Amino acid sequence: MDTSTYLNKISVWDADAARHILSRSLFGFTKSDVTFALTKTLDDFVDNFLLKDLAEPSAPKYSGADWVNLPNNTANQTNYTNWFRSMVYWWFDLMLNQGYSLREKMVLFLHNHFVSEYGAFQIPQFMYIQNKLFRQYAFGNLIDLTKKVTIDPAMLIYLNGNVSTKTAPNENYARELQELFTIGIGNYTEEDIKQMAKALTGWTVDGTNLISVFNTSRADTGLKTIYGKTANYNYDTAVSLIFSEKPIAASEFLCKKLYKEFAYYEPNAAYVTQLAAVMRSNNFNLKPVLSTMLKSEYFHSADIRGARIKPPVEFLLAALKQLNISFSTANQDLQNYVRTTADSLQQTLFNPPDVRGWEGQRKWISTNTYPARNSYTDSLVAGKKINNITYKLDALTYARSYSSSEQAVQFIEDVTKQLIQFPLSQARKDSLLSIMLDGSAVYDWSTYSVGASTRLEKLFKALMRLPEFQLS
Amino acid sequence: MKRREFIKNLGMVTGAGAVTFSIAGIPIKAFAKPFMNIQSTNGKILVLIQLKGGNDGLNTIIPLDQYSSYISKRPVIGVAETAAVKLTNQTGMHPSLLPLKQLYDEGKFTVIQNVGYSNPNRSHFRSTDIWLSASDYNQFLYDGWVGRYLLKAFPNYPNTPPPHPMAIQIGSVQSGVFDSTQGGLAVSFNNPDEFYTLVSGISADTDPPPATLAGVELKFLKEVASLSVQYASVIKEKADIGNPVANYTAGGTFGSQLKIIVDLILGGLTTPVYLATMDGFDTHSNQTVANSHPLLLTRLAESIKAFQSDLEKYGLADKVVILTFSEFGRRVNENASGGTDHGTAAPMLLVGKNVQGGIFGSNASLTDLDNNGDIKFKVDFRQIYASILKDHFGMTTNEVDNILIKHFDTIPIIKAATGVENDYELPNEFALKQNYPNPFNPATKIEYSLREPGDVKLFVYDLLGKKIATLVDSFQSAGSYSVNFNGSSLSSGTYFYSIETGGQKISKKMILMK
Repeated sequence: MDTSTYLNKISVWDADAARHILSRSLFGFTKSDVTFALTKTLDDFVDNFLLKDLAEPSAPKYSGADWVNLPNNTANQTNYTNWFRSMVYWWFDLMLNQGYSLREKMVLFLHNHFVSEYGAFQIPQFMYIQNKLFRQYAFGNLIDLTKKVTIDPAMLIYLNGNVSTKTAPNENYARELQELFTIGIGNYTEEDIKQMAKALTGWTVDGTNLISVFNTSRADTGLKTIYGKTANYNYDTAVSLIFSEKPIAASEFLCKKLYKEFAYYEPNAAYVTQLAAVMRSNNFNLKPVLSTMLKSEYFHSADIRGARIKPPVEFLLAALKQLNISFSTANQDLQNYVRTTADSLQQTLFNPPDVRGWEGQRKWISTNTYPARNSYTDSLVAGKKINNITYKLDALTYARSYSSSEQAVQFIEDVTKQLIQFPLSQARKDSLLSIMLDGSAVYDWSTYSVGASTRLEKLFKALMRLPEFQLS
Repeated sequence: MKRREFIKNLGMVTGAGAVTFSIAGIPIKAFAKPFMNIQSTNGKILVLIQLKGGNDGLNTIIPLDQYSSYISKRPVIGVAETAAVKLTNQTGMHPSLLPLKQLYDEGKFTVIQNVGYSNPNRSHFRSTDIWLSASDYNQFLYDGWVGRYLLKAFPNYPNTPPPHPMAIQIGSVQSGVFDSTQGGLAVSFNNPDEFYTLVSGISADTDPPPATLAGVELKFLKEVASLSVQYASVIKEKADIGNPVANYTAGGTFGSQLKIIVDLILGGLTTPVYLATMDGFDTHSNQTVANSHPLLLTRLAESIKAFQSDLEKYGLADKVVILTFSEFGRRVNENASGGTDHGTAAPMLLVGKNVQGGIFGSNASLTDLDNNGDIKFKVDFRQIYASILKDHFGMTTNEVDNILIKHFDTIPIIKAATGVENDYELPNEFALKQNYPNPFNPATKIEYSLREPGDVKLFVYDLLGKKIATLVDSFQSAGSYSVNFNGSSLSSGTYFYSIETGGQKISKKMILMK
């Protein structure tokens, strides 16, 4: 493809394009979601649905009671494990029931960009404050968000900003701010880190009320020289300086991350350069950048469609949504199953492995996690029994939701298109067909024949075990 | 899953009958393709231990010879002089490493001082990539040094996969150290039984994927599926045979990792490289509290001690060496949070029956620092890799240069490599090894190898060039030799020993210390 047309808007808005956008924007989608998207124009669907500003959701509760504003004290600490889990379930719920909004994908992206680990302090209120911040800025301004993150209580603790003082600045946050959050390695010196660390001093965290506090006596109010500019920088002006002095580095670094998250894990330099120009001309506001990307020709090319390995939480939730297995916050057994499975697939929400976050893509797949993905999808087909309730695909009802359910060949065509983004080879479709037919003749196929349900279950197990099903 | 369904799924994901499976727990045949029953390695095993986050070298190995300088730079976190476990008068260890003292005394534990690389990078991630890929500071490689080694050792992979995994990693996210042009080469899992249960039912296939980026990712997924299927049975089988008896509980979850590895080695798995990982070394604050750095070192030492004792009990200790590494050491000066920020060079620890033992190199200098106030490296980390590849795995100098992209001199940290008998080869170079032990008192051993037969002279000289002793003066055939030298009648000091044959001459220095 000619690189100059990378960002051109796609000319064809059809079911393939809709499935691609839905698969990258949501945590799973159904047939009717595709139908709905196609009732809108591309512009309308992207700008007025996926990127629409939404009201803030109500905060998580545990056993019906509020906890996010409660102070940190010994009495409350006995509840933290439960509170933390209620927040994980609450987020699962938002991911699955967000309508057509891209917001939760962006919240997860920001969580994995401005990383803090719950394990570093184990106070759930802190992670809620940060998660709420990411949601507020999901489509917002990156410079403002970077400033807020810099004095976010969880971040101050996680990267030691709270113990960094003018007499002994701690370099941890100053380094990661530049290396991982804004401009990337090669765009600053070790001296810039030391000077930046001085500019960020003075902030501590009130460990009871869980708020950030500025303490003048701890702040370095002298001159700092960063990127060759000298002034009495503080956290606000120092963060502004990063974006004003290094706009190209910052925009390209951040667009690379967006590209890795939404398109493909190995950034395409020409594409990133062009998208970064869009980011700069929009003063680091995310919404126009996302809009351009989702509609762009290269984002919809055969290279990119089906090239993304589903991250664990998306994989687990999407499977439930795709198979119409109901997932309600009222009953937490299934949420708990998803949470523990996500742990073993190496994605524990609020607890990325280190400050770089989850690396994603191929790092999700090992000889250990690949089979574990298979046993999860198997369990949804065979039925997962927890506390005497079985969570299970209703294979017959699901199959009959397709108009082609009684025509074996067309049904395989339709069902694989809906459930698998990767273009399936004819050989694959043929073998799936023979699994479903299980030795019977194709003209004898009917969902009303004896054993149809069992044969459909074999089909769905085999389909979801495919390497292609891991891709989106 | 019912048997019929199982076989059917298999056929579809694998293409016709390429893989058979264990049904009802009975391993039938575990390999996608027939393999030639040859050992592609010399039977030696390397266990890599990654200390993630940047281990604080100065609180691991303590420079007692510069103690006042040390404690003035680390008044809060410095290890008390009296608490340090003394290895020599100059050098101590963190008290948590006490379980390794006996191994040190037995010559089975080597400290390699000041390991790093030029223009050190203080980013966790970039520096980790440098260590895993064995690159220069400004070079970007997309495969790992072990990945490159394994493709040399198993040149027929993936067409003819070896009977046992080429590498095993305990964990679920594969390390870049095993990346290669043929994909990731390690099998990773947390536990052999669980792995076996998980794997029954999946498989690989041979359909060529389309020529798109998406197709490249599909190919990757198929390779991983294929690796799990090929090896799950043999891993379980060997784990069932192995029977470690040492106590790993003091090692915590890290101890369980080493226990799994020793279990597989004792069971007879011939996998040459293992990787275990320990997290938590990024100690920016309060690093001296009991559950921080001290606990990490305790777990490390207790696990290694247990591991080594199992190997010795079962007579397998001469096969295995353990090597620790970390992306960097930490700053010389502590920070105000009772911790240390990202630094540079640090010691590496090497354990095994065949290591040279002792301390290689002198303590980190706390006065001769780089312009950032950090420790200067004295040994390039790739010299350690080169020494392991050559002296442990028996690769040739050419092969080692190839694996490490350029030449690095080895250092004497491993005793002479001895290949397995059926894999014996004549030496492919004329070489004189560093004597062992060195410094010595009064006896030491000198090893050399001859590529061609000829007249051989091996003499010892003093500093002034006066001949002190004749160790060899005769015609010898090609092969590896070893002679002993006793300096009991000589005074302390530096001596040279020199070998000459076929017009070539090599000299080395040795130190007699009485």
